[in-house]
Amino acid sequence: MNTPDEVIARLDAVDYLVDDGLAMAIFLALRLGKPLLLEGEPGVGKTAAAKALADALDTPFIRLQCYEGLTAGEALYEWNYQRQLLHIRLGHASDDSSLFTDDFLLERPILRAVRHDGPTPPVLLIDEIDRADDEFEALLFEFLGEASVTVPELGTFAATRPPVVVLTSNRSRDLHDALRRRCLYHWIEFPAPDRAASIVRRAVPAATAPLIRDATEFIGRVRGLELDKAPGLAETIDWVSALAALGVADLAAGDVLRTIGTIAKTPDDRILVAEAVTRESPQ
Amino acid sequence: MLLRGIDRAAFAVAFTARLRAAGLPAGITETDDLVRALAASPPVSRGALYWTARVTLVRRHADLAVFDRVFATVFDDSPPLPLSRSATPPPRRDDDTNVAVPGTGDEKTAGGDGLPWATLPPAVAAEDSPAEDGLHLPELRPSELAALAQRPFEDLDAGQTAALGEALRDTLTHWPHRRGRRHRAHPAGRRVALRPTIARARRTGWEAVTVVRERPVPRPRRVVMLCDVSESMRAQAAAYLQLMRAFATVADAEVFAFATRLTRLTVPLRHTSPREAIEQAGAAVDDRFGGTRIAANLGALLDSHHGETVRGGVVIVASDGWDSDPPERMAAVMARLRRRAYRIIWLNPRAGAPGWTPGVGGMAAALPCCDRLLPAATFADLLQAVRCLPDVAGRR
Repeated sequence: MNTPDEVIARLDAVDYLVDDGLAMAIFLALRLGKPLLLEGEPGVGKTAAAKALADALDTPFIRLQCYEGLTAGEALYEWNYQRQLLHIRLGHASDDSSLFTDDFLLERPILRAVRHDGPTPPVLLIDEIDRADDEFEALLFEFLGEASVTVPELGTFAATRPPVVVLTSNRSRDLHDALRRRCLYHWIEFPAPDRAASIVRRAVPAATAPLIRDATEFIGRVRGLELDKAPGLAETIDWVSALAALGVADLAAGDVLRTIGTIAKTPDDRILVAEAVTRESPQ
Repeated sequence: MLLRGIDRAAFAVAFTARLRAAGLPAGITETDDLVRALAASPPVSRGALYWTARVTLVRRHADLAVFDRVFATVFDDSPPLPLSRSATPPPRRDDDTNVAVPGTGDEKTAGGDGLPWATLPPAVAAEDSPAEDGLHLPELRPSELAALAQRPFEDLDAGQTAALGEALRDTLTHWPHRRGRRHRAHPAGRRVALRPTIARARRTGWEAVTVVRERPVPRPRRVVMLCDVSESMRAQAAAYLQLMRAFATVADAEVFAFATRLTRLTVPLRHTSPREAIEQAGAAVDDRFGGTRIAANLGALLDSHHGETVRGGVVIVASDGWDSDPPERMAAVMARLRRRAYRIIWLNPRAGAPGWTPGVGGMAAALPCCDRLLPAATFADLLQAVRCLPDVAGRR
């Protein structure tokens, strides 16, 4: 990918529509070889961006879901202790070098991304980094800065082709400045209704044009209500898929109420959305 | 092509210097990124330049507004694009508004005395005005502090409030904990830690003689404090700010002030200088001493991206419960908060008065969802509330 416009075209070919800002962010991340930190509202397509990037580059997609207490053992590498113990039992262990070798090393997502040897570097998604704790962030610095992983017993593995790293965050916790400094940053805005419509059209080819138009406009109005969980783009796509599966061609109040579970995710929201529907169509 | 024939490094340095002057923390790494990005993607339009600079220089959402403003001031009144040295008329070449070059002297130096480096303000400047400082009060003995703590907030001056605020911080030593998901080696642990066990086995000819055990590391429980700074809470506002500062600095808590709008005070209140912290917090809250919308503000907290910090945490609300929103809304939002938070503590300045009943609509609606309603009319009450925090946040 040599220009931001080519990024747009290549992602378009895998049915992921990006705007100029995200295209520039992805282009620079690829060209400068730096990780890309994506933030934005839930359901705006952060994770999908990484997946689409892997598709567009035609490389393996490696995903690391973050959670509290994530350690090196789950993210970087782990020794296969069971095999080591068996090895000892069988009396093969004469010294260190026979126990701490490649045979006993279990690759976890980050080491797998570093040691990947294919024609193209893989795309590594570190998803919802804000769910992990400070200790894990610190663990990532070596990898994010140098694209290498150090295993004390074996040495440092440096990537021959640095993987494309995408981090996503929902801002539930302030990330450390040291992490932000190592990444390029892009904030994904919620798309305007016409762009949202074209995104949904790509995601749900079965839906009719008037249905998509009405649905995205309706979602735009629903997002203006004071909801506990405002529906994002992911919910819109789910909803339109549900409507398309039901064979709905024109949006009617009854169809909205039948499929309300795809856009309203709490009891209070359900009531508010249902009220909005009945207000709009008094018949 | 924009910026043809212009030194990219000089441009990047000057532009980041301007961003830093406006308060955006862009450092050497970001500048380096911008230079390399400009090489990778020469800006073909203003939009492309905007995205290149934004992706490389801005690292957090809160800084986007500053970036947009600075970018607009630098590039808005520039001559029609494309901008290049040959296109710019010679007399305008040294005009630093359009193409920033280093060393223009246009950026204000921190010292203000023309030096290109920042100088620290003189450390002894406070000498000439000891009376209005408040920090030069004689050191108070514990007994005097205890007596001061009994007084109502209105009778305390700024210096005494600050001293009692320090006392609050010192009291905040016991903190509620929860079981974390990380493990640490401990003889009383129940899980076998394989890695250290095998490392230890090396000493005994790879025979695992000593088994190392591990157990979960307790983590401090998250505390979120919301403080009412409306008109009816005018007398308590200064003291509650001290309490919030104690939580924010000692316990890494998230703190918010609200009257008609919700303001996050975590960052200003963590400032190392107490006076500076309180001043910055006061400046951040612009709806001070207005009306109150407790339910709306609690709802706003839950809806915002800070809503996740409440999950599993201890929520402390400091308010008298006078709410201009209807009580039903308060009941609904408190029920939502109840589902998300671990414990809810309500500090009410009037609750200590004899014969007080939660008659106010908002307070009565909120009470069923609160784990504890504590009086908070004096610093003694606040100290007591801080001391009983581990009990409240313990197992039910």
